[in-house]
Amino acid sequence: MPELSPPPHQPNVPAPAPPDAAPLPQAGPDEVALVIDDRPVVAKKGTTLLQAAEEAGVLVPHYCYHPGLSIAGNCRMCLVEIEKMPKLQIACATAVAPGMVVRTANDRVRGVRAGIQEFLLINHPLDCPICDQAGECRLQSYESAYGQGYSRFQEDKVHSAKRYDIGRDVKFDAERCIKCTRCIRFCDEVSLSHELALFQRGDHAIIGTFPGRPLDNPYSGCTVDVCPVGALTWKPFRFKSRVWFLKNIPSVCAGCARGCNVDLATFRDRIHRLTPRANPEVNRFWMCDEGRQSYAALYDRPRFESPVERPAPGDSRGARDASAAGPDSPWDTALDRAAALLRGVVERHGAKALAAVVSARLTVEDLYVAKRVLGELLGVPRLAAPPHEAGEDDHLLLRRDKTPNARGAEALGIGAPSSGRVKEILEDAARGGVRGLVVVGEDLTGLPGFSEVLYDRLDALVVIDWWKSPTVDRAHVALPACGYGEFEGTMVNFQGRVQRLRAGLRPHGEADPVWRILRDLGRRFGLANEYATPRAVFEDAAAKVAALSGLSYRALGDLGAPLAAARERFAGAPAPGA
Amino acid sequence: MTIPVRPETDRKIDELLTRFPMKGSALLPALYVVQEEKGHVSDESMEYVASKIGVSPAFVAGVVSFYTMFHRRPVGRHHIQVCRTLPCALSGADDLMAHLKTRLGMKDGETRADGKFSLASVECLGACDRAPFLQINDREHGPVDAAKMDEILKGLE
Amino acid sequence: MAFEPILTRNVRKPGSETIDIYMEAGGYQGLRRALKEFTPEKLVEEVKASGLRGRGGAGFSTGMKWGFLPKTKDKPRYLCVNADESEPGTFKDRLLIEKDPHLVLEGIILSAYAIESSLAFFYIRGEFHQGCRTFEKAVQEAYAKGYLGRNILGSGFNLDIIIYRGAGAYICGEETALLESLEGKRGYPRIKPPFPAIVGLYGCPTIINNVETLANVTLIAERGAAWFASIGRPPKNTGPKLFCLSGHVKRPGVFEAPLGVPFLELLNEYAGGMKHPERPLKAAVPGGSSMKILPAAKCDVLMDFDSLAAAGTSLGSAGGFVMDTGTCIVRALHNVARFYAHESCGQCTPCREGTGWLVKILTRLERGDGRPEDVDLLAGIAGKIEGNTVCPFGEAIAWPVESYVRVFKDEFEEHARRKACPMRAAAAR
Repeated sequence: MPELSPPPHQPNVPAPAPPDAAPLPQAGPDEVALVIDDRPVVAKKGTTLLQAAEEAGVLVPHYCYHPGLSIAGNCRMCLVEIEKMPKLQIACATAVAPGMVVRTANDRVRGVRAGIQEFLLINHPLDCPICDQAGECRLQSYESAYGQGYSRFQEDKVHSAKRYDIGRDVKFDAERCIKCTRCIRFCDEVSLSHELALFQRGDHAIIGTFPGRPLDNPYSGCTVDVCPVGALTWKPFRFKSRVWFLKNIPSVCAGCARGCNVDLATFRDRIHRLTPRANPEVNRFWMCDEGRQSYAALYDRPRFESPVERPAPGDSRGARDASAAGPDSPWDTALDRAAALLRGVVERHGAKALAAVVSARLTVEDLYVAKRVLGELLGVPRLAAPPHEAGEDDHLLLRRDKTPNARGAEALGIGAPSSGRVKEILEDAARGGVRGLVVVGEDLTGLPGFSEVLYDRLDALVVIDWWKSPTVDRAHVALPACGYGEFEGTMVNFQGRVQRLRAGLRPHGEADPVWRILRDLGRRFGLANEYATPRAVFEDAAAKVAALSGLSYRALGDLGAPLAAARERFAGAPAPGA
Repeated sequence: MTIPVRPETDRKIDELLTRFPMKGSALLPALYVVQEEKGHVSDESMEYVASKIGVSPAFVAGVVSFYTMFHRRPVGRHHIQVCRTLPCALSGADDLMAHLKTRLGMKDGETRADGKFSLASVECLGACDRAPFLQINDREHGPVDAAKMDEILKGLE
Repeated sequence: MAFEPILTRNVRKPGSETIDIYMEAGGYQGLRRALKEFTPEKLVEEVKASGLRGRGGAGFSTGMKWGFLPKTKDKPRYLCVNADESEPGTFKDRLLIEKDPHLVLEGIILSAYAIESSLAFFYIRGEFHQGCRTFEKAVQEAYAKGYLGRNILGSGFNLDIIIYRGAGAYICGEETALLESLEGKRGYPRIKPPFPAIVGLYGCPTIINNVETLANVTLIAERGAAWFASIGRPPKNTGPKLFCLSGHVKRPGVFEAPLGVPFLELLNEYAGGMKHPERPLKAAVPGGSSMKILPAAKCDVLMDFDSLAAAGTSLGSAGGFVMDTGTCIVRALHNVARFYAHESCGQCTPCREGTGWLVKILTRLERGDGRPEDVDLLAGIAGKIEGNTVCPFGEAIAWPVESYVRVFKDEFEEHARRKACPMRAAAAR
């Protein structure tokens, strides 16, 4: 279940109860009827008051409660009044009961909340101006919503460890910490790595690690996500941007076959961080550190900004421009030339001399257009996607398969990533059997069957990719594609769930999304379809490819939808890490 | 990992692991056993105990730091704990502590360089009828005035 | 003082801690009889009928507590003995453990029989070195005589007992913190519900009883519920009780009297009156340091659960202490607050942050840096803690602060106004 009050934790604007509302609504057999803030509410049996209230639109402020972790009940922020109970009760740990009458916002509750806020801030450094959490800090949000607005504390604060590396990528400021223990519970219950613990007691209690055993697990960044304050910060993001300047775009991580749902945070046309977006079916609330930093490659690896042409054997125009190895060309010229080179191969050797290596890191839309244009219009007999594997599947999210759209390639009939088929193509190319090769989103170097000699045997090498690579450097025509965050489209994760990736950045230089490059190439071979947007491409694919039937962008929404073949899997299947 | 304790200590801990319906309960007794041998609970000891019980070293360190009777550093051969809580304070605990500091030339919380004494004021030891009350290692003394204190210290020489 | 001690009948005998002396005085006869005559259910009924209320602090009916155990028996049940006596002013359980361990042990065996538990834990505070040694020996003696182990006295009832030493944490006297500690963790009180009777030690139904409570179970088995219920102030405050008295008294100690004994009788007759005749009573905390203070004028109270509640304080663990007119109340409260700040487990916000804050204000007041607003602030902070914490520790700090400041408001205000302790200033003159 998604974390229902994600940042920025806006307080309630309570809607008045409908005047004609029954005092207690009818509840079904597995339901409980109760009253929360004068509103009749029906909740599932066994839910907590906090969940029931949030589902009814009443946010009960809380720090330590997190839907993906066990209940700690230590922050005391969610204390609410329940009729017939003398003491306030914590909403996070109180199960709904029939006929309960709950008040979450009366004077008594608000007075206690203000008290909790005051307590939490007495030893807090109040260093919001230099705190990365500022803007998405629950202390801030709740203080402005529920605080009394001043402190009566005039003593010396308790001082504690500040900004030290509690892990490779995580900084810890113990003075900002409110000891909610979310991070500890994450390491104990989710990553199962157990690095964190509370030490000491009373107001000297401090979270820490054992000497020589820092926070070091593949999911360490999640401790930062769950930290409701600025105590744990993600080093790669520190001081990069004030969070209120960030634009969060719902997308999907393309680091492996899991396809964790993410928020892609951009500012000034640059991705500054990826954070997990809750999806109970795919990644619950989590993502791995590798995926979290996967965007960094966009900025670390050199890109190329515009189409590049190089001379090809027996190509008159190539010879004409041979003086300059790889001058930038306008798109139309480059596409014309790519078409001409490929057409030349067909004319001289037949379509059977063409092959394509396409990446399972491409979107469904990219691969669908690739299949239509290369397979159907050009008659390329062999399209293959290479596998990329590393590590092992783990207990939580990480997949050995690093291709985020392998199931998509399969669904489209390109076939699952296969080293055998790629090897066959590349060895054929080295032997001279393949004379024209289209490579999309892959660097041939190191692929199965690759040898340097194959470059010399090709009459046409057309490469579409988002960054420079040895293959791009040898291409007769290299066309710059949009990188992660610059394109939109869909991918199918290993579970068979189709999910949308969205764009948050302008394309680098003159880069274009792969599907559009291929569409424009296709037009040179008589492609009639407009394919104006990825949505249009997807809808055409859904109409024509049986595996995608019944799907549409609208149906995918923010959380995706399963392929027909995988629908059963999602009917009541436990979420990962549950 | 090398075992940082004597074989009989290791055996005692193995025995503790079988004593309880759940292994985790062996943690406090195991820490006592280690402290009994070593005089304190070092990082190395904590890692050792963690591996015996099957919990993380961080967890063990968290537990050790929660309880006042586990010493992270060596204490004196005579570890003097003077109760300072109200019933003892009403009966002159402050004077007793002041006297001890002068007599031993030490501050509260200190271990003397020769390792003979450590001195700590502690909270209620549950012997308010014998206030002011103190413990030296596992022996109890109270009520203790300056003269009685001098006598006790003499016995430790 | 016509009352004949029952709980402490043996404690002054030489060798009182040995099984021989205990049995000479009729020890283990109650157990023998109960195992023969009582079903577990009947024993629970007997304890209910006796009106026995827990002697650990909360004063909850022992029989009723036992009755909360689930009817199903699919999981083992545990009896945990709370021998983590830590409330300042309280040292009564120590007396029983050190001087009459078999009285306690017999009560443990009886109670385990009543709740159908075959494994009991004796959680004793780590600082009680002597008590631990004595109790260990007593357990060995009981095993040797067949009062512990398999098929006790041919009844088919089995019981083992494990002694578990705490390691220095007041909070472990709170029953769910005790369970956590017993599981080898930091002593963090648990969120309730579920209560330990349903989900306790290792997730199994568990009863936690205080040492003195269990000693009383022995008496009930020995002499019957009706006898027990006739002592004290029936129907709700029955049985003999151990009262501690310390501080400025002539003879500090543990005194046995029926529940409902007048406080002034305890003070003047049992404890011999005030220590310094020239300094009369200023205030008393009859129940232990976490309970509310009574000024001398209100000390004419009966020492039982309900009378003290009516007087605005509580019997608590009956760890009473008194202060004479030479006592600075601000200084006394500072001491109490410092204790609770030191012992706060730090789990939940109000207690973790609030206790430290209280100490800082009291330190200033006592040092002579007080401000007029401090007095109300102290009460205000206590008010924000009380009722809002995971466990009753919140009240344990809030109650003394609230009551000391209310009862002795003038003295606090004078500290703030004069920027000094008026008593120390007077002493210096």
